[in-house]
Amino acid sequence: MEIYIKFISKSFQKQITYKIEYFVGFINGFLYIFVFTSLWNALYAEYDANAFKSGFTKSSIITYAVFVMIIKISFSMDDQITTRKVRTGDLVTDLIKPVSYFCITLSECIGQTIFHFLARGLPILALSLFIFDISFPINVTNYLLLIVSATFGYLILFMINYIIGLMAFWFFDTFSFQLMKYGMYAVFSGGVVPVDFFPASLQSIVDFLPFKYILYIPTCIFLGRFDEDEVITALIGQICWVALLFAISKITWIRAMRKLVIQGG
Amino acid sequence: MSSIITVKNITKEFRVNKGRSGFLGSVTNLFSRDYRTVQAVNDISFEINRGEFVGYVGENGAGKSTTIKILTGILLPTSGMAEVNGIIPYKNRVENSKRIGVVFGQRSQLWWDLPVRESFDLLKSIYHIPQDLFRHNMDLFIDILKVDDFFDVPVRKLSLGQRMRCDLAASLLHDPDILFLDEPTIGLDVIAKDKIRKFLKEINRDRNTTIILTTHDMDDIEALCKRIIILDQGKIVFDNPLSTLKKEYGGERVLEVEFNEFYESLDKVPEINVFKEEENKKWIKFSREKYTAASIISKITENYEIKDISIHEPNVEDIVKTIYGNLY
Ligand SMILES: Nc1ncnc2c1ncn2[C@@H]1O[C@H](COP(=O)(O)OP(=O)(O)OP(=O)(O)O)[C@@H](O)[C@H]1O
Ligand SMILES: [Mg+2]
Repeated sequence: MEIYIKFISKSFQKQITYKIEYFVGFINGFLYIFVFTSLWNALYAEYDANAFKSGFTKSSIITYAVFVMIIKISFSMDDQITTRKVRTGDLVTDLIKPVSYFCITLSECIGQTIFHFLARGLPILALSLFIFDISFPINVTNYLLLIVSATFGYLILFMINYIIGLMAFWFFDTFSFQLMKYGMYAVFSGGVVPVDFFPASLQSIVDFLPFKYILYIPTCIFLGRFDEDEVITALIGQICWVALLFAISKITWIRAMRKLVIQGG
Repeated sequence: MSSIITVKNITKEFRVNKGRSGFLGSVTNLFSRDYRTVQAVNDISFEINRGEFVGYVGENGAGKSTTIKILTGILLPTSGMAEVNGIIPYKNRVENSKRIGVVFGQRSQLWWDLPVRESFDLLKSIYHIPQDLFRHNMDLFIDILKVDDFFDVPVRKLSLGQRMRCDLAASLLHDPDILFLDEPTIGLDVIAKDKIRKFLKEINRDRNTTIILTTHDMDDIEALCKRIIILDQGKIVFDNPLSTLKKEYGGERVLEVEFNEFYESLDKVPEINVFKEEENKKWIKFSREKYTAASIISKITENYEIKDISIHEPNVEDIVKTIYGNLY
């Protein structure tokens, strides 16, 4: 365990050295929030809230837009780690050590996320508080639920990246998978528009995909948009996805190792 | 003596797809039966005892790295059996990795973006190295390899030689029983090579660490190894002490003679064979089983005017070349 905590802290330190990337990321994140809140403002000025049938008031949609983006920014992680290591063969240097590859990769991503949360998420949130009219949940339960739900959401995102990364064992290029993921993650996660706004047919598809559990669910739980039953259903949904993706990760890893060991990848 | 590494009739075949490229191509490759087989290693067997320093040599593509990957548990042999420290490496990679050290000269096992110091710190946790052992080993590496000169430099900024020194230190931090070195001197200058050789010699002598060394530099072998295994196209063609190699194959000695004037030929001394000339200098070969150096030299001096003369021992590089040469 000690070793994985060290990996997290080294990965955190490493982020600090990327100064330019940091500033670009900061400005980018803030711009996103600014653009989306402006759009919502304009839309809600034009149409009455009832027109959307989504249950979002102007104030609550702005709050959603800010928080979902803060979580998304915090969830920034390097999704190319495994693909790169498989392609360059550097994976071998991890394999000669007595460590779990899943855990060291997760640790590396967690280190990045802690950095992005502290160095980008929180300051952007603070800045947003001055500029936008945001209402914070006052209940401690909301914060505890956020931690639980965001953790599940994070694991889901991490494992999707991990599994796609391992595809590099079978496919020369994982770019097509990445592209597919980027698209679905951007839209179906609720990162741009809450899932409630989607047409019913699309919503039923999104219900069967893991993406809304990454951003939309933690944000809604945190902002108190769900009643007790909905919270429980949402958390169970997250747990199921975590379990399923973990199983897939394991199986894919075992098969990848078998392929490497037998064919030399 | 009990053997610490056993390799029995190991064969490793690779399937190479007759590749199609692009996304569709890679999908088709998944289901394709259209491949050819490459025999990287072909029915090799050997045993290595604790404390041995073995040179494992062969031309490019001979199967050296493949063997090392099998012994480190990264590859599964197609057939045959290997045992390292009583463990079957490819069945129990993680267990095996705790007791071995590995250096792949072509890539670093350190963390690219982290200062050297922190890479060592991570390794300390990975291998659960006790503080006093860690301190003791670090002191030794600082002393011989001078790794503290660049403790705070990120690995990616190190020169090749500095990186290699760090990688060697990293592979030995946990006191492994066996050290696998796949081309650890590749691309290094003579001084760096010399440092690394001295260090390896000490480790082998003081800790009784078993070392398997793969290299294209026969001077490495000559300086370090007591035993040499030569691999050719996946087969072992020679496995003997280095002294045997010199005795059996190094049958010819070389004299380098500088004459006072240019001689067209040296046919007054028929025992010798001139194989290279440069102005007044000639390089001469003779069989050391049939003639002594003294008799050859005196015959030459009787017949020709000599300015300078020196004798060269057969060098391993030439001998190994002869062995490769004999195969074709
Ligand atoms: N993953 C792989 N897939 C297919 N063929 C491979 C693979 N790895 C090695 N080979 C083939 O196996 C043979 C032996 O390769 P190996 O890397 O063991 O050689 P080597 O002795 O280490 O050579 P070098 O001195 O160039 O490092 C080569 O013909 C190589 O092309
Ligand atoms: Mg090699």
